Amino acid sequence: MFSYILRRFFHLIPTFIGATLLAFLISQLVPGDFFTTMAMNPDVRPETIERLRDSFRLNEPVPVQYVFWMGNLLQGDLGLSFDSNQPVVNLIRRPIRNSMILVVLSIVLLWAIAIPLGVYSAVRQYTLGDQVVSTISYFGLAIPNFFFLLVLILMLFYLRSFTSDAFGWNKLLFPVAKMTSTNFESLNAWRQFWDIAWHAVLPAFVVATSGIAGFTRILRGQMLEFLGSDFIRTARAKGLGQRSVTYKHALRPAIIPFVAGIGSLLPGLIGGAGLVEIVYAWPGITPVLLASIGRQDIYVVLGFLVISTLLLIVGNLISDLLLAVVDPRIRYN
Amino acid sequence: MADTNQSSSVQTIARQARDQSESRQSKSQSQIVWEQFRKHTAALIGGGILIVMYLTALFGGFLSPYGMNEYQRSPSFGFHPPTQIHWRDPQTGNFTRPFVYAVTSSRDPVTFQKVYTEDPSQGAFAIQFFVRRPEASYNILGPFGWPSSLHLFGVEEPARIFLWGTNNLGKDVFSRVLYGGRVSLMIGVLAVWVALILGLAIGGIAGFYGGWVDDFFMRLVEVIDAIPFLFLLIVLATLLKDPRNPIAQAFGLQMTSAQVFLMIVIVLGFIGWGGLARTIRSMVLSLREQEYAQAAKALGASVPRVIFRHLLPGTASFVIVSLTLLIPGFILLETALSFIGLGPSELDSASWGMLLRDATNKGIALQFSPWLLIPGIPIFAAILSWNLLGDGLRDAFDPKKRR
Repeated sequence: MFSYILRRFFHLIPTFIGATLLAFLISQLVPGDFFTTMAMNPDVRPETIERLRDSFRLNEPVPVQYVFWMGNLLQGDLGLSFDSNQPVVNLIRRPIRNSMILVVLSIVLLWAIAIPLGVYSAVRQYTLGDQVVSTISYFGLAIPNFFFLLVLILMLFYLRSFTSDAFGWNKLLFPVAKMTSTNFESLNAWRQFWDIAWHAVLPAFVVATSGIAGFTRILRGQMLEFLGSDFIRTARAKGLGQRSVTYKHALRPAIIPFVAGIGSLLPGLIGGAGLVEIVYAWPGITPVLLASIGRQDIYVVLGFLVISTLLLIVGNLISDLLLAVVDPRIRYN
Repeated sequence: MADTNQSSSVQTIARQARDQSESRQSKSQSQIVWEQFRKHTAALIGGGILIVMYLTALFGGFLSPYGMNEYQRSPSFGFHPPTQIHWRDPQTGNFTRPFVYAVTSSRDPVTFQKVYTEDPSQGAFAIQFFVRRPEASYNILGPFGWPSSLHLFGVEEPARIFLWGTNNLGKDVFSRVLYGGRVSLMIGVLAVWVALILGLAIGGIAGFYGGWVDDFFMRLVEVIDAIPFLFLLIVLATLLKDPRNPIAQAFGLQMTSAQVFLMIVIVLGFIGWGGLARTIRSMVLSLREQEYAQAAKALGASVPRVIFRHLLPGTASFVIVSLTLLIPGFILLETALSFIGLGPSELDSASWGMLLRDATNKGIALQFSPWLLIPGIPIFAAILSWNLLGDGLRDAFDPKKRR
C-alpha cells in the first residue's frame, strides 16, 4: 500500500511541472505587462518602473523567469501581486478557503441526495417515482448552473411575496447573495458558522445539481446490474432481508465508481462554483481571478491556477487511494 | 377445381420463398442504427426540437420583429414587460384579429420601478404580417445571404410588440433570443470540429506510433486535464481576444468580431479534445493489431493512409456519439463565457449568455423583470435536446441494446 502511494505521488510530479509550465506559458500571452500601463502615468519615473521590472525579473528571458518563479513556488512563495504589492499567498488564501466551503458542502449534498435517489429508482425500477427521478435528472444535467441559481432566487422572491400576503411572513427562506449577513462581525463563533452555512446552502445545492443528476443515473444503472446478479440471489436465498440485501450487498459494489468519480468531479465543482460565485456574490476564487486578469496581475492569476491545479491533482490522488481502499480487486503493483 | 387449388398452393410457396429471401437479406449497419434510433422516442423529440431551433436561428432576422441592437432612447422602453396581446374586441367581446395597445410609462411611487400601462385611447394596433421595416434590416440565412427588411410580424408605431419584454435599454428580448441562437447554437457545432480534428489526429498518431510519441501526447492530455477547465477557458479567452497578444501579432489579426468568434471556437475546441484523443488512442491501439490493418501495412500503404483510411473509420460510431454529447458541453461553456462578458463581441452579436447577463446587471431587481430570465430556457432546451439525441444515438449503435 505504502509503495503504491509513493509511486502514485512520484507520478504526479511531471504532471505538476507540465501544468505549471503550461500556465506560465499562457501567462506570456499577456500583452505587455502590468508596468506598461504604469508607464503611461507621467507621475511615475521611468527609473522606478525599471527597478520594479528588475525586482520581478521581467527583463530576463522567459525560461529564467519560469525557473525563478518555480524556485520560489517550491519554497511556498507565489510572488508579489503587482497591483497591491502584497504577497500573492495572502491575497488568495481567503478566496480559496471560501470556494472550498462551497465545494465541500456541495460534495456532501451530492452524496446525501444522489445515493438515496439512485437506490430508490433502482429498487423501484419503472415505477412512477423512478420515472420522475430519471426525468428530473435529465433536466438537472441540462440546466446551466448560473441560470438555475437565478431561477431559484426568483422563486424565493415569489415565495416571499406569497407568504407575506398569506401569513404576513415577510422574510426570504434562504439568503440570495453573499457569504455572510451584515451583522456577521457581532455574532459569536457558533452563530458565525451557522450564518455561513445558511448562506452556502443554496449555491452549494446549485453547484451540486449536475453532479447529483449524473450520479443518480450512474448509480441506478450500477444497482440494477448488481441486483440482477447471482450473489444477490444467493443472499436472498439465504433468507436475508430486503434492506440488508440492498444496502450491504448491492450498494457496496455499486458505489465504487462513485468513489473513483470524486477525483473527476473536483474540476467540475471548482469550475462550476465559478459562475455561481459570481451570481451569488460569493467571495470565492472566480471573482478575484476575473478581477486580476482584468488588471493583468499575472502572479495572482498564476497563483490561482497553480493552487487549483494542485488541489485537483491531490483530489485525484485521494480518490485513487480511496478506490484502492474500497475495492479489494485493485492491486497495488 | 384441382387445378385452381394447385395454382394457389404454388403461389403460397412462392410467396413464402419471397418473404424468406427478404428477411434473409442482411441490413447494412446504418440501416440497423436508423431502425434502432427510430424506436427511441426521447431522442426523436430531442432531434425534432433541435431542427426547429436551428431553423429558427437561421431565419431569426425574418422571425424577429425588431433588430438585434435596435432600441429607442427617448421615450425609452427599458424594462418593458411582455406585451399583452388582445384577441377580443373590447366593445363586442367577439374574437377579432389579434391587436395590441400603445403604452404610457410612469414610475411606481413606492418601488421606483418603471410601470407601463396600456392606453386604449390611441386606438388598437392590429398585428400585421409580412411587414417591411427598413430600420431592422438583416441578412437572410445569416452572414452569407442577401439583405432584406421583411419581417414575419410587427405593429405600427407608436405601439410596440415585445413578446418577451425588453432589457434595461429597451432592446426586444424575443428578437435578441432569435439572433442569439445563431451564436450560441453554432459555436458548439463549430468547436466540436476543432476538438474532433485535434482528437482524431493526436489520438490516431499516439495510438499508431506508441512509444515516446504516445507518452508525450498522453502526458499533455493529463496536463491540460489537471488545470480546472473553467479557469483555463477564462484565462485563454481573455488573453487571446486582446489584439496585442503575441499570437495575434504573429498572424496580424486585428481581432474583429468575426476573429474573436473564431478564437473562442478554437479555445473551446482546444479545451475539449483531451478525452476524445484518449479514447481514440486506445481504440487505435487495439485496431492496429487487427489483421486488416496489418494487411494494409504489409501491402505497402503509407502511414497516413493506414491511420486515416483503415484505423480511424473503425472508431466512427464512438466518434459520432461523443461529438453529439460534446456539443451541449460547448454550448454551456460558451454561454458561461458570454455570461461573464468574455464571449463573442457584444457590439455586433448577441448570445444567450449575454442576454442572461442583462438579468444580473447592477441595480436590476429580478422580481420586477423576471422575463429577463427567458433566454435561459433555449439554453436549457438546446442542451437537453443534444443530450437526448446523443443518448439515443449511443443506444442505437450499441449492439447490446438492440430492441
